[in-house]
Amino acid sequence: MKPPILIIIMATIMTGTMIVMLSSHWLLIWIGFEMNMLAIIPILMKKYNPRAMEASTKYFLTQATASMLLMMGVTINLLYSGQWVISKISNPIASIMMTTALTMKLGLSPFHFWVPEVTQGITLMSGMILLTWQKIAPMSILYQISPSINTNLLMLMALTSVLVGGWGGLNQTQLRKIMAYSSIAHMGWMAAIITYNPTMMVLNLTLYILMTLSTFMLFMLNSSTTTLSLSHMWNKFPLITSMILILMLSLGGLPPLSGFIPKWMIIQELTKNNMIIIPTLMAITALLNLYFYLRLTYSTALTMFPSTNNMKMKWQFEYTKKATLLPPLIITSTMLL
Amino acid sequence: MLKIIIPTIMLIPLTWMSKPNMIWINTTTYGLLISLISLFYLNQPNDNTLNSSLMFFSDSLSAPLLALTTWLLPLMLMASQHHLSKEPLTRKKLYISMLILLQLFLIMTFTASELIFFYILFEATLIPTLIIITRWGNQTERLNAGLYFLFYTLMGSLPLLVALLYIHNFMGSLNFLMIQYWIQPLPNSWSNIFLWLACMMAFMVKMPLYGLHLWLPKAHVEAPIAGSMVLAAVLLKLGGYGMMRITTLLNPLTNFMAYPFMMLSLWGMIMTSSICLRQTDLKSLIAYSSVSHMALVIVAVLIQTPWSYMGATALMIAHGLTSSMLFCLANSNYERIHSRTMVLARGLQTLLPLMAAWWLLASLTNLALPPTINLIGELFVVMSSFSWSNTTIILMGINIIITALYSLYMLITTQRGKYSHHIKNIKPSFTRENALMTLHLLPLLLLSLNPKIILGPIY
Repeated sequence: MKPPILIIIMATIMTGTMIVMLSSHWLLIWIGFEMNMLAIIPILMKKYNPRAMEASTKYFLTQATASMLLMMGVTINLLYSGQWVISKISNPIASIMMTTALTMKLGLSPFHFWVPEVTQGITLMSGMILLTWQKIAPMSILYQISPSINTNLLMLMALTSVLVGGWGGLNQTQLRKIMAYSSIAHMGWMAAIITYNPTMMVLNLTLYILMTLSTFMLFMLNSSTTTLSLSHMWNKFPLITSMILILMLSLGGLPPLSGFIPKWMIIQELTKNNMIIIPTLMAITALLNLYFYLRLTYSTALTMFPSTNNMKMKWQFEYTKKATLLPPLIITSTMLL
Repeated sequence: MLKIIIPTIMLIPLTWMSKPNMIWINTTTYGLLISLISLFYLNQPNDNTLNSSLMFFSDSLSAPLLALTTWLLPLMLMASQHHLSKEPLTRKKLYISMLILLQLFLIMTFTASELIFFYILFEATLIPTLIIITRWGNQTERLNAGLYFLFYTLMGSLPLLVALLYIHNFMGSLNFLMIQYWIQPLPNSWSNIFLWLACMMAFMVKMPLYGLHLWLPKAHVEAPIAGSMVLAAVLLKLGGYGMMRITTLLNPLTNFMAYPFMMLSLWGMIMTSSICLRQTDLKSLIAYSSVSHMALVIVAVLIQTPWSYMGATALMIAHGLTSSMLFCLANSNYERIHSRTMVLARGLQTLLPLMAAWWLLASLTNLALPPTINLIGELFVVMSSFSWSNTTIILMGINIIITALYSLYMLITTQRGKYSHHIKNIKPSFTRENALMTLHLLPLLLLSLNPKIILGPIY
């Protein structure tokens, strides 16, 4: 893609999200969402193959439906409250509709079906943008309407998301699908405490974005999209394998790494509100997540997979891939505790 | 406490920046010096604990365990020198760094004063151990072993996190020193029963309790020598230490909640000891003997009498040193014949007589010979369980007999009799190995002269 066009499209994506985050008028928020979605479609279609076409189509359909649902909710809110300002939503129907729409955009269960397929069909860089930047806008709206969200609905979605994210990722070897299921599970954790303490959701989102960015950059360094190609990393970049080890354990939420911070805080907030069984269930289901991260580390860092060349180490070429800000990213995603 | 923690952290740059032929010497020496510092903490005032700071404290229960942990690091380093000698330098340094990191987490765990801090470090000890087991173990089963180890422990400890946060909300603070003065008896209700279970299951899995012990033989057998040593000696004691700390909060539910676990422990003691009699794998035998000894500690902690607490503490320290020594002896066999089967290397007494002396002393302490601290621990536990219920003496007695049986079985199979004809050309014992055994045995025997320091806070 020619650089000027790429710049314009990236700028539109960023502007779209900024508009969503910064505006207080519902119509502008909807406009921001649409800008964001339309601009990201060419990014998803960077490689011109049928898989990417299918992925972009699925993404477009789900996001467009979600935006329409959101608009419906906004209109009902306008009907009942007479104004367009984003604030506490008085009508429960509007609130439920908006929540459903936003969770559809995020990929929470039961609207999670598009996430693995879309993430698998696109390049690693587009997948990274999809799983990190695109979550910011819906989350900011959920943050702003959090006092009026129906807790039961969101808690149910969160619980099923954590379950789906854990179980769905177990049978995967493709890295992008693994990251997609990981994103579903993490979104579940975030959705669980929006109604109780939205600040924790922001904390979880920030840490999740940091960790996912680092993971994707490590994958891109090796251009590896399957577990098999990741397992050859010990031969080429042995230092990166230990990075992957800590990063995966951090994603799984093991203390003392920073992936544990959101889980600890979320469990603390939930127990303060007298919910004991739900955080226990969520924490135990997060172990399923940990299992497939651990499987990745087993094949990458902790064992030496048979590789095609006979040398112990390949010639160490200079890194030609851009790994922007990789060391600080990794450090912040693992050592913050 | 920082005077132990900061030197331990600084051991890591020491390994990475030492000259290649000096890494072992440097780390072992400084490790021994750090363990000397930790011995100062054994001097405890009788009526209170030594309060170092807001976050760390040490009392008569944690000080011996702290001394054991810091004593073990140089021993682990000495034991690992041989099997790492052929690895490239970076991997050696990585291994040593993992051991030091584990040591650091263990020191902080034993001296943590706030229970959530304790929990975080309790979980944090899993990561270096997992890396040591799966990366440097020797057989393909090590992957499975690492998985079992991690997931059994995590399944048990996640409810503990929820329970600790609940108690934090309920009581206002989890600082252990303050909670001691605020506890009220826990009323009997279903949710409190679940609270009790959530608090205790993490430590039960770690100990391990008989029904949940499946991870232990796998992990111990597949781990390299340093991993086995630290697992048997210290990580199991984390469970005992945690149980002793947290049962202060859980009265009086423990009176009836303890029954299922007592039954499992008492029966499991005999079961695992009997399994030891039929083992062919040397390391597996020592692993099951660890389960059996720890079952005694579980019984002691659940009875909650002063004598049983003294016995539990003494038994933890004694078993730590003994088990670690047995693993070192098994490893010296393994390094020579590269197999863990006992009958392949028989009659070693004729070939390596000094090593046979260490085998004899280790087996004797394992079967709790007077006047060693093993005996003091076991005796106190047996006596207190007899006073709790008279019939337990039958099971305890059977256990003591079977322990003696398998310890002597291990000794006789490996040391006595005619040697197998193919081991005539094994290497003689290294000075390093003899020094290792001495350093294990000397504290064990000297402590029998002054057991007061390991008898815990009730003494």
